[in-house]
Amino acid sequence: MSDAGPRDGSAHLGDEVGALLDGELAAPEVAAAERHLAGCPACTQELASVGQARAWVRGLPPVEPPPGFFEGILTRRTADVIPLRRRRRALASVAACVAAAGAVLGMAPPEESPTAPQVGQLVEAHATAGGSGEPLTQLVPVGVPVSFGR
Amino acid sequence: MTSSEVPTWEEIARHHGRFLYTVAHRLTGSDDDAKDLVQEVLIRVRRGLSTYQPGNLEGWLSRITTNAFLDEVRRRRRRPVERLPDDPERVVPPTPGADIALDAEALPADVADALRGLPPEYRAAVVLCDVVGMSYAEISESLVVPIGTVRSRIHRGRALLRTALT
Repeated sequence: MSDAGPRDGSAHLGDEVGALLDGELAAPEVAAAERHLAGCPACTQELASVGQARAWVRGLPPVEPPPGFFEGILTRRTADVIPLRRRRRALASVAACVAAAGAVLGMAPPEESPTAPQVGQLVEAHATAGGSGEPLTQLVPVGVPVSFGR
Repeated sequence: MTSSEVPTWEEIARHHGRFLYTVAHRLTGSDDDAKDLVQEVLIRVRRGLSTYQPGNLEGWLSRITTNAFLDEVRRRRRRPVERLPDDPERVVPPTPGADIALDAEALPADVADALRGLPPEYRAAVVLCDVVGMSYAEISESLVVPIGTVRSRIHRGRALLRTALT
């Protein structure tokens, strides 16, 4: 964009444009950016263009939850609201443990068809056992615990 | 707030449910994924309330929601069979904006669609900035990336959005 470059020879603003819009530049940086903009049509265009996108996103309305969604969560227990795919993974990992235990003990691997329902019952029973805890979630890695410490 | 005022999930759902759902929906771009994400946040909130720092409940919720969203994105990337709706080839490449009409209007539905088309890391930064209203420092802390990275992702995300809506 050298043809549209600034007359004072300073570097284009790049992502300083966004920081300028968001009030994230210090006063000396703001002054320097404004000096640059005064002589640079390309960055002036970029400022207007990105500012438009910023305004559009900021103008998006809130999204209403489906009727009864939060009420449904509140009346169910935690084990009931674990996303389905996580429950499937939990079952798979329990089944793998059962198979591994059988292998260690020198037993034949359990038949798939009779084992699967038993494992399912096991998980359900485990999930309903503790009232205050969340036994099922302890089986499932759901990512790094969130912490406010740095 | 004192420790006795740590919010319960019931209070969060009652007073901040719409906010939480909005953030989840802007991040994921669909009702089903937003519902899944909110339920994941519920699990994390119940495990992590002790780390709550009084004073900025919605910032704290946004941070949990965004990290849960990005964790799910990374999980799906490790399993390429599940195609993400935001595959890179769907992202409109940036183009110079010299011919862009600067007073253009855009329907909210189109803006939301364009947001969903952004790479997830850009989308997360833009949502935290322009939907939640976090400062760059807060976004940096939430996403555990340097401020310069936050600045770059927000700027590039907006530039992609603007191009997609031209």
